[in-house]
Amino acid sequence: MFLSIHHLKKSFGNGESRVEVLKGIDLDVEKGSFCVLLGPSGSGKSTLLNIIGGIDRADSGDIVIDGDRMEEMKEKELTRYRRKHLGYIFQMYNLIPNLTVRENIEVGAYLSRSPLDVDELLHTLGLYDHRGKLPNQLSGGQQQRTAIGRAIVKNPDILLCDEPTGALDYQTSKEILHLIETVNRKYGNTVIMVTHNEAIGGMADLVVRMRDGLIRDRQTNEARIAAEDLEW
Amino acid sequence: MRNPLNRRLPRELKSEFGKYLVIFLLLSLTIGLISGFLVADGSMMTAYQESFEKYNIEDGHFETGHRMNRAQVRAVTDLGIRLYENFYTQWKLTNGSTMRIYALRDEVNKVCLMKGKLPEKKDEIAIDRMYADNNGLSVGDRISTSSRSWKITGLVALSDYSALFSDNSDAMFDSIRFGVGVVTKEAFDEFAAKKMTYSYAWKYREFPASEAEEKEVSEDLMEKINAEVALTDFVPRYQNQAIRFTGEDMSSDRAMMLILLYIIIGIMAFVFAITIGNTIMKEANVIGTLRASGYSRRELVKHYMTMPLLVTLAGALAGNIAGYTYFKDFCAAMYYGSYSLPTYVTIWNGEAFMLTTVVPVVMMLIINLLVLVRKLSLPPLRFIRRDIAGSGQGKALPLYKGIPFFARFRLRVILQNMTSYLMLFAGIAFASLLLLFGIALPVVLDHYQEELSGNMLSKYQYMLKGPLAGENKEQRIWSMLEMMAFYYSVETDNEDAEKFSIWPLKTLDDGFYKSEEINCYGVEPDSRYIKADIPEGGAYVSAGFSEKYGLRKGDTFTLKEAYEDKKYQFRVAGIYDYQGSLSLFMNRKELNELFGEEDDYFCGYFSDTEITDIDRKYIGTVIDLEALTKISRQLDRSMGGMMDLVNGFAVIIFLVVIYLLTKIIIEKNGRPISLAKILGYENHEIGGLYLVPTSLMVVLFFLVSIPLDYRVLVVLFRYMMIREMTGWMSLYVPQSVYLKVFLIGISSYLAVAVLEYRKIRKIPMEEILKDTE
Repeated sequence: MFLSIHHLKKSFGNGESRVEVLKGIDLDVEKGSFCVLLGPSGSGKSTLLNIIGGIDRADSGDIVIDGDRMEEMKEKELTRYRRKHLGYIFQMYNLIPNLTVRENIEVGAYLSRSPLDVDELLHTLGLYDHRGKLPNQLSGGQQQRTAIGRAIVKNPDILLCDEPTGALDYQTSKEILHLIETVNRKYGNTVIMVTHNEAIGGMADLVVRMRDGLIRDRQTNEARIAAEDLEW
Repeated sequence: MRNPLNRRLPRELKSEFGKYLVIFLLLSLTIGLISGFLVADGSMMTAYQESFEKYNIEDGHFETGHRMNRAQVRAVTDLGIRLYENFYTQWKLTNGSTMRIYALRDEVNKVCLMKGKLPEKKDEIAIDRMYADNNGLSVGDRISTSSRSWKITGLVALSDYSALFSDNSDAMFDSIRFGVGVVTKEAFDEFAAKKMTYSYAWKYREFPASEAEEKEVSEDLMEKINAEVALTDFVPRYQNQAIRFTGEDMSSDRAMMLILLYIIIGIMAFVFAITIGNTIMKEANVIGTLRASGYSRRELVKHYMTMPLLVTLAGALAGNIAGYTYFKDFCAAMYYGSYSLPTYVTIWNGEAFMLTTVVPVVMMLIINLLVLVRKLSLPPLRFIRRDIAGSGQGKALPLYKGIPFFARFRLRVILQNMTSYLMLFAGIAFASLLLLFGIALPVVLDHYQEELSGNMLSKYQYMLKGPLAGENKEQRIWSMLEMMAFYYSVETDNEDAEKFSIWPLKTLDDGFYKSEEINCYGVEPDSRYIKADIPEGGAYVSAGFSEKYGLRKGDTFTLKEAYEDKKYQFRVAGIYDYQGSLSLFMNRKELNELFGEEDDYFCGYFSDTEITDIDRKYIGTVIDLEALTKISRQLDRSMGGMMDLVNGFAVIIFLVVIYLLTKIIIEKNGRPISLAKILGYENHEIGGLYLVPTSLMVVLFFLVSIPLDYRVLVVLFRYMMIREMTGWMSLYVPQSVYLKVFLIGISSYLAVAVLEYRKIRKIPMEEILKDTE
């Protein structure tokens, strides 16, 4: 198994204000698959994503990615791990305001020894004509596409997406989902996407439903629905 | 692949051009000034030190009442020294100044010709360059006394007069009213013997190995020479202010300039650190994303360090270029305006480069590195969540609900920007100190002159010049006859005249306080000039003496003979309100007894009117206001011009520090300001919310820092007076000086506030809608 999570626990705060956000998560994700984590706010899905992404630490439990145990990694190793294996997409894009679209993507490319061709990617993302623009000259969808470009240009093993369509309108959301789907199929990255939009689950190989820090349901789709056919 | 983040740098520079420009200008100006100063100082110091050998400067000199006979010369030279006649004659010129004239020297204390040529004819003279500058004289002009005149053929520097001290016991040299010059030997030989001062320079056959040994040898020498011939003056080189003062002053200037540089670099480094902190706050989510994507902390530290380092480096390089070209000459001119230094050659100063370029860059590197490492040590998630402030950030300080909303809002702005305000306080306090010093010094000098003119012991003090005691039997008989004639001739019918006796003693050199002369006056019990009820066995000390040495009523202190180890202890019976010199006052009879003289012995007169019935040959010196104000006149001349520079510099620091930190505060609140506009706040209301807190803090900082600066100035001024000068001047800072500092500071702030208000007006409403970064 490419990603294996065993009995993962995480809590925040101390004493009476202590909140257990993850109460024992077990999850296996295959390489190249598309996994969607669904659940209401506070269910622990973003925390789980952050722990997988190595930007937060679990209190207990194991995560093994491609044979490497994350809990044994020190800060520097975690940085190397993120650098080598991960691409991150956030709801709020987090682009560097004084770099152009192309340069923002190059920020990702710089981290890889064999990055994807930036021009080709710009075409794939539909951003080629906007490559010289700064983030504040772009629409929300264009900014998110740039953020996706930055995440995938280094061709990461895992693409972590935290509510990537949360700030976008319906049509743009579908475009972005289509893009992620295309990337997944074209480059074979493992995609783990956090969302509270049930409909998005249709495009995944594996749908994990969470509530109160526990996995309540896991569903394997035999056939994935194309992003453009999703309705909500 | 080159790090794409680097492409941000030129854009960062372009978008923050104003900020980087002012930092660059302040750094290059400071570094330029300091580098120019160090290069000029180093080059001139080298020229000064080389002058000892190049011009064969004396190891000391002594003066005698009469020309020494051959036997005496032989006896003295047998003491292990080579002796050189260095006689001089002194003339009161028609321009009111005094000219000390020597014969051209070709063996010792040689002359450096700086302009024109050396005298060749009897009526020609070459005079000190600085004295000439200060008196508007140049080659071709004439200087005159009431009876004769000389044509100036050249401007020179006499190697034994790099500082124009007319008397080694003077508190300060006087390059305005006192000058030195050289005439041909033939012209010098024609001067009358009665106007001649018999000064002998000496060089050791074997120079003492250390300063301590030099002191020991010279003290021994003094005793032995005094046994052969009565000394009227004895000045070994290490005590000769005319030779040593310049070198010592240049060294202390250097230390002060470096302290100035490092304070400014420190302030700038912290301003950068705050700027970076602000950028990190602004770009927190980007940093979090980069860290989450795999960028290491080191890469980000490097990225955010680049701009401060580049600007500092550029400032240092530009500063060094300006230092070697413009400021070097500017600083050399300042030295030439104070000292009679020989010509110098610019010497590449590796140490100056190190101190003004490498050290500032390293300082900037260390301070910023520490701040960045600390700030970027948080885990990526906290950046993404923008949870990067200190631990106290999470909890808002409770504010009383009764406080009006605007006031509470302003308090929140102040609390949010405490670090920036702390730096603002440091900048204001430092610049105010410079400004306070710059504005106060001329006031202190004026006040000193005014105080002296209204507080002289008497309008005239006549110091009588008695015949010297002979050393052998034949001379003693002649001396007694001379003494009788002297006492008969120095009586006056002037009813204002009042006799006093006076002995110069010296304070002890304890390492911190330099040994300096104290005038011990013996005065009449019911003196009309010294209005003090001096008890038996006690002494009043002048206010200056008391302030400088911290003497209080009831204290005891020790003084010593100038050329002997004999010590005297005195008890302070009271403080006498007199700043003119460091003096003590005792009953004449008691003081005479202390020094082994008859009860009615005297050697001077106090008088409010001129005494005209005493033969001039028995009057050594007349102390009037002009003589007493030498110190303030020279300080005004040496430092007056520099004070304008200090003031200008202080204003620039005000402007830069206030501009940068106010800018940071406004930028930090760009989104809330944008939101406030969307909500319907007017620009003036927003200005009221974001500029008024800073205005209040600026006013508060001035009100706090000015009294603090005064305390610091008291310490610095006292240190300067103790370590750098003999004599004493009180630090007098009237309210008007504080007001000026305050008004100049506030005016600087207002100029910046107008700029920042314009900036607030320009912040678009779309900022909050569009720029989510």
